[in-house]
Amino acid sequence: MPDFLKGFGLFCAALCGFAAFPVHAAGDLLVAPTRVVLDGSRGTEVVLNNIGSEPATYRISLEIKRMTAAGGLDEIAEADATPAERAALDMIAFSPRRVTLPPNQPQVIRVGVRIPEGTPPGEYRAHMLFRAVPDAAPATASDVARPASAGVSIALTPIYGITIPVIVRVGDLGAEASIGEAWVADTPDGPAFNFGLTRTGNRSVYGDIEVTRPGVSEPLLLARGIAVYPEVGAREVSLRVPPELAAKLKGPVRIRYSEDREVGGGTIDQVDRVVK
Amino acid sequence: MRKFGMKRAVLGAAIAALAMNASAAHAATATGTATAKILRQITLTNTSALQYATIISGATASTVSVSTSGAATCGAGLTCTGTTTAANFDVQGTSGAVVLVGGDASVTLNGSLGGTMTSSLTYSSANITLGATGGSFQVGGTLNVGANQTAGDYTGTFNVTANYQ
Repeated sequence: MPDFLKGFGLFCAALCGFAAFPVHAAGDLLVAPTRVVLDGSRGTEVVLNNIGSEPATYRISLEIKRMTAAGGLDEIAEADATPAERAALDMIAFSPRRVTLPPNQPQVIRVGVRIPEGTPPGEYRAHMLFRAVPDAAPATASDVARPASAGVSIALTPIYGITIPVIVRVGDLGAEASIGEAWVADTPDGPAFNFGLTRTGNRSVYGDIEVTRPGVSEPLLLARGIAVYPEVGAREVSLRVPPELAAKLKGPVRIRYSEDREVGGGTIDQVDRVVK
Repeated sequence: MRKFGMKRAVLGAAIAALAMNASAAHAATATGTATAKILRQITLTNTSALQYATIISGATASTVSVSTSGAATCGAGLTCTGTTTAANFDVQGTSGAVVLVGGDASVTLNGSLGGTMTSSLTYSSANITLGATGGSFQVGGTLNVGANQTAGDYTGTFNVTANYQ
């Protein structure tokens, strides 16, 4: 076969691949469970699955994140870690740290914890990051289409992943939370339902938020998996809602913050509010 | 709802199968106990790239923006061709789950023939609440193009994470 035709075949293969998968999306992933709490007596397992269409190499690491008063998670460089954050990184062990998986191949990551003698009671937390190691930036289709003139073409490759908290509890800990004021506000990206959550005690609180209208059984809004971490005494929760729901939420509502269903679903706090 | 139930069940079955394989080797004749652990899961899928398409630079510095909806704004003095898109990420998981979106605020791009550019990045939302069919978020940006920017293929990588609390 003449080289020209071979080249054309390769070109076509690249283009066909592009047509089928608009993005070179090697690195799509599944992680389960979405939160790990350990008391130090035994470890657990986390499942990572390659749900992409091509083999991918994933790296697993522990990161430090701190909750902000606005409810975000700031990434903290290891050099800036507090002693407690450093201790969390040191006491959580996991394996493997790097794995190459064909499509639809799950891998179990074993997570263990070693609590050194004399560790002060408290909650120690790190965030386990799962993400694909990127391929070399692929030549994009726009290269082919690019005119021979002095143009600039851009290939931006996202390195994307999932983080889940790994929480180690040492000693007998407790915490309570209460719901503050609630209001609907407009953000640049559309309306949002906002409320405050304050926390006391020496561990995080975690649970589900349910907003109901008195006399109506169907909840207006359900938001699962909302935490207040120990590094903040209060946070704001801002949930984007469709405009029609934003209008419905205004007025008298009951807001219930309940523990995770997996640990009984008990009420942490329940309040009646008039949403402005 | 049913869809997620099935997915979780399948995952649970896969884990149970792994567990049974392990125990079968040790106790081939023992009475079997069927166990299945259902885990909550999250998936993250990249379905489109942040695409600035092709730009021909001008005599003065300018910018090209791609909004989180993918719409392009070509700055004065530049010629922009091709189709622009915002990066899109699909997230699947428990219905009602709140997922925090994190990522780099800017990225540096290196040209194949020398030269660099920077792009700021904007995210459609700081968090998403998953519905019955999951959710998604988008990443747009503003690219700073220098005066007579060196031609070539510019590449860069940026970090994006979906974070559970």
